[in-house]
Amino acid sequence: MKLTKRGRIFDPTHHTLPNGCVQFAQSPQALVFEDFVRIYFSTRAVDEANGKYLSHVAFVDMRKNLREVIRVSDKTVIPLGGLGCFDEHGIFPMNVLRHGDRIYGYTCGWSRRVSVSVDTGIGLAVSRDDGLTFQRIGEGPLLGASLHEPCLVGDGFVKVIGGSFHMWYIFGTGWQRLAPGAAAERTYKIGHAVSTDGVQWVKEEARQIIADRLGADESQALPTVVEIGGRHHMFFCYRESFDFRKTQGRGYRIGHAWSDDLSHWTRDDDCALPEAGPGEWDCEMQCYPHAFECDGRFFLLYNGNAFGRHGFGLAEIEP
Amino acid sequence: MFVWKKRGKVFTPQAVEGRSWLKEFAQAPATLVFDDFVRVYFSCRPPADANGQYVSYSAYVDLDRGDLFKVLRVSDAPILALGGLGEFDEFGTYPVSVIRAGDEVRAYYAGWTRCESVPFDVAIGCAVSHDQGKTFTRLGRGPVLGRSPDEPFVLSGPKIRRFNDLWCLWYIAGRKWKRVAGRPEPVYKIRMATSRDGIRWTPLNRDLIESRIEEDEAQASPDVFYANGKFHMFFCYRYSSDYRGKANGYRIGYASSSNLTDWVRDDAKAGIDVSDQGWDAEMVSYPHVFELDGRTCLFYLGDQVGRHGFGLAELDGTLA
Repeated sequence: MKLTKRGRIFDPTHHTLPNGCVQFAQSPQALVFEDFVRIYFSTRAVDEANGKYLSHVAFVDMRKNLREVIRVSDKTVIPLGGLGCFDEHGIFPMNVLRHGDRIYGYTCGWSRRVSVSVDTGIGLAVSRDDGLTFQRIGEGPLLGASLHEPCLVGDGFVKVIGGSFHMWYIFGTGWQRLAPGAAAERTYKIGHAVSTDGVQWVKEEARQIIADRLGADESQALPTVVEIGGRHHMFFCYRESFDFRKTQGRGYRIGHAWSDDLSHWTRDDDCALPEAGPGEWDCEMQCYPHAFECDGRFFLLYNGNAFGRHGFGLAEIEP
Repeated sequence: MFVWKKRGKVFTPQAVEGRSWLKEFAQAPATLVFDDFVRVYFSCRPPADANGQYVSYSAYVDLDRGDLFKVLRVSDAPILALGGLGEFDEFGTYPVSVIRAGDEVRAYYAGWTRCESVPFDVAIGCAVSHDQGKTFTRLGRGPVLGRSPDEPFVLSGPKIRRFNDLWCLWYIAGRKWKRVAGRPEPVYKIRMATSRDGIRWTPLNRDLIESRIEEDEAQASPDVFYANGKFHMFFCYRYSSDYRGKANGYRIGYASSSNLTDWVRDDAKAGIDVSDQGWDAEMVSYPHVFELDGRTCLFYLGDQVGRHGFGLAELDGTLA
């Protein structure tokens, strides 16, 4: 399997975005229509209350050549949650799935904490208008912290395989401070849950399904699964848990694993994205992958430097 | 109407010395009866921090079974440590409800974390004791019952019971954060979940007790007791604003049920209210009913939701 990079395909700063958002087009997620591809992403507004960011979902419709932009959403796709709700301070990402004549949006909701920066949960919102707007099924999350997954349940990616809903997601294994007074940093791993209806889920409680490459402090995020030639391929991103924002070599890279039974995964990062040369848009960081099929071809959307501040790019997956 | 005879305040946390984590409050009493003493779990607080914020711990006091006003001992340490960084119970373990399960004692407790836009969130954890309830170890670092689509925040006030082989957990779930004079105040209602093992819970997903004094009435301490062929629930309720004083503060309500899930509220039957004067003249709250040597007893909190301790009332007659 080979990945061929096609370069950056969307720069949010070249477009007018809803909700007062200016920069960031993070964690692109594709929904394929007959004659175009809708790509949802999370963008950011500034919270007037305190100058912190609020992540909002927007989308861009592109021709199937995945180069030409048809339009960018001009209104709210899904409002943020209410006071005290799990998704009050951001939705990032939202994974979309066709289900009959509806589209399910699995949201990762963010709410701010005091001793640590944030906690997350996975919610469900449903669209009845082909994905233009979504309404949540309830104010709370479908999946959140549980007995052995103490924090940071998020990044749900859902597929229906053989009549069952499968979700790959991340769960926090804990927060740590490297030194007293230092900011708390989090570590998370990829887990798996199943469901018969996409609403009631059973987690494989705290089973880490992808082996670490960087050791126990490896954080793994945004799993995405695509079936190619009868084999399931997962892409995700991974990084060191500390000093990962600015230091070259410690930030996000794209990882890969494969499975034939959806239970055992073999990590094989050699299949992942080629590194970028100096000065390229993704030379410092590659993160938030999303794999999808479009008219018999397979693609990987992903973010580059600065966690997607300047948009997302595309690679083609060739079997 | 039930007739409760008030016996006075049983335990005063300010009277306990030598425990830095116990300065005031003895909230949400819950009993575990032994051969010659009654262990009463309660939640307490050390002094507030520099920002005026509290953490809460749970502990116990052992009372003489023959004379509940005789304190035998107070636990040397909290029964449970606070949770770790970023965990649901990092800032408090309050309240706690206990039950025997074989040789173990299980505790269900509310864990508190601090949030930015609202002051806190709460979820329900479980811990187990192998030393007759002196010390407990958490079953995991996360909650056994946390937020869900229909119960978005503030799952608190657990009360654990077992009827036949069914584990029942009554608790409160937040319905909204209401801004009162610029400050977010939680509105919560009484709910329940059931389980076959006490670990995996299925919430009923509806409010059990209709609101009476106002739509945003907050309800707490759903204490269920079986007697004379039906289930009795004593609970407390208050207004959503200005509830820290007498007028809008907590009172004790009552409901009954024949099937655990359908409840008829009838506060006129509760039979206990604030006193004309004394330690419980402004509010009464957090009822806990238990049977002891043929008597039906009630522990409850007085003014300032138990800042100065809890008291005892005894039923004249039976719950029917």
